[in-house]
Amino acid sequence: VIVAGVDAGARAIKVVLLDADSRGIVASGVTDQGVDPGRRAAELLGCVRSDQGLTREHIGGTVATGYARNAIEGIDTTITEITCHARGVSHLLPGTRTVIEIGGQDSKVLHLDGRGVVRDFAMNDRCAAGSGRFLEVLASRLGLGIQALGEMTAQSRQPAPINSTCVVFAETEITGLLATGAAPADIAAGVLMSIASRVATLVGSKVVTPVVLTGGVALIPGMASALQQSLGQPVSVAPDPQFTGALGAALLAAERVA
Amino acid sequence: LRREGRIVAEPHAPERVAAGARSAEAALAWFGDMVANCHEFATSAKERGRPIVGIMCEYTPREIIMAAGAIPVCLCGGSAATISAAERDLPANLCPLIKSTYGYHALQSNPFLEMADLIIAETTCDGKKKMFELMAQTRPTYQLELPQKPDDPDARAHWLRELKKLRTVLCGRFGTRITSERLRRAIRDMNRERRLRRELAALMKSDSPPLTGRELLTLRSSISCVPADLTQYQAALESLPMRERTDLSGRVRVLLTGVPTVYGAERVADIIEDRGGLIVCQENCTGLKPILDDVDEAVSDPMTAIADKYFALHCSVMTKNNRRIDALRRLAAEYRPECVIELIWQACLTYDVESYFVRRLVEDELGIPYLRIETDYSPSDSERIAVRVEAVYETVRAGGAG
Repeated sequence: VIVAGVDAGARAIKVVLLDADSRGIVASGVTDQGVDPGRRAAELLGCVRSDQGLTREHIGGTVATGYARNAIEGIDTTITEITCHARGVSHLLPGTRTVIEIGGQDSKVLHLDGRGVVRDFAMNDRCAAGSGRFLEVLASRLGLGIQALGEMTAQSRQPAPINSTCVVFAETEITGLLATGAAPADIAAGVLMSIASRVATLVGSKVVTPVVLTGGVALIPGMASALQQSLGQPVSVAPDPQFTGALGAALLAAERVA
Repeated sequence: LRREGRIVAEPHAPERVAAGARSAEAALAWFGDMVANCHEFATSAKERGRPIVGIMCEYTPREIIMAAGAIPVCLCGGSAATISAAERDLPANLCPLIKSTYGYHALQSNPFLEMADLIIAETTCDGKKKMFELMAQTRPTYQLELPQKPDDPDARAHWLRELKKLRTVLCGRFGTRITSERLRRAIRDMNRERRLRRELAALMKSDSPPLTGRELLTLRSSISCVPADLTQYQAALESLPMRERTDLSGRVRVLLTGVPTVYGAERVADIIEDRGGLIVCQENCTGLKPILDDVDEAVSDPMTAIADKYFALHCSVMTKNNRRIDALRRLAAEYRPECVIELIWQACLTYDVESYFVRRLVEDELGIPYLRIETDYSPSDSERIAVRVEAVYETVRAGGAG
């Protein structure tokens, strides 16, 4: 039986098709959020499915997660991204105790028990600091994409301090740094450090290892090492980090058809 | 989870069930019109010469006000609409309850505040304390000073003196005498109302409660001891056990603690129940906290009995506030929640800091999930709060306790 997981996130929509018996990934797809995320998600699911020569009848169950999870038609169940990311990461990296997920509009820290069940979580959801959007806005201030911003941090010798947690004021801070002649590479490194220290506060005083970073922002070069520095603990990146939410949703769909 | 001692409603005869259900709906509908009912009651009382006294805290003893022949009315603001008017004078980073209340004052749009002959202010929170100073420029207010060391005998003695001063002020202002007999009558009335409301709340102890926490939250009034309210509390108490709410089975049992969810500010309670929870216990000022204990009618001096009851309230302004932790422990045993959600209004420092101890109790001792929600009256974060609430329910269902 093939099952589907849909993660309709704040910035991107991800779909994973899974073989419910082998738990192997059959196919995956990603698209931008757009203005009608429910329809976009349904379309993406349709595309990924038909690429595999599958019809709606072949799909044994579909679980949706993410911010627009309730807006998608043809879904069996919705489950929060907190449970889905925990499930996805635990499947890929069994024994993970702390999951840091940095997505488009928020960041979360999930504390898992030995079985991979969410024991506790914290979210930075009252402002954009520590989110992918924060990164995008500040990268564009430097005339860069987020990938290029990440790559540039490798050349930094002394990350520039960025203290504002408000994205608008952080932009102003960067304007000031540029005016005083700070190197763009140092500013880029400062941006990642600023996100990392926000997230480290969210993790709290007791960091239980292993720590895994996931979500779209985990793809940015230098993000995991900035977090590692803030936490004082090793941080590994989940394989295909953008898809762990959709994978978790698909795994939960598989459990439902079993 | 503690599941022993199941409390299940007795089966009832069908015709009694039908009559009971009608009576329960009628009582709920009565309190659905609470503000209009209170307005009618207060207007007619005022016309008959009875003073209206605004209060904003459960520490303020309604009994003393009632014994002066006055009507105590709760003024706590629950509307987001008045906040921008308040922010002309007050900082933006302040508790929404204080801002909303002050906004009504600035806009002169709360009829009860406009009717009030006196407003009793108190020192239960620094934000309110200073807000009252602004309000006092144009309205008659009297400030009660609440000592904050709950186990200190001097503090208790000071509180009694404060209440005696209040009695003197009320007598002088309203030209009346507050006799022991009048105090005792007010104590009896308030005790009766507290008992009725306490027994209504206790219906939630059942494994299949006959009402939602949100419905229970409507069963209260801005004015205490209105005779029609007491009749409806009694009717609700008799009829609700016969009401069947099979749709409530399978919901996650939630204990709600923290700040009050005053009239109009029930958004988070709505989210908790809309997303699959059932608030079985409300340990806050709009729930059980003020009605857990009665005034002791056997004590010879009614003022002392009143002072003792009110001083024992476990607001986070008290230090150390071990009584709240003890109360939560006791209520968790009685109401058997599967998780605890703590609501904190933005900038409510005492509840915010004290949440450290509540979390520790819930996770380490009770062994169930704990969620802390800090928000204000704006609905902008409703969806994000809903995600966190749902995630806690998923953890409960997966058995991922503390």
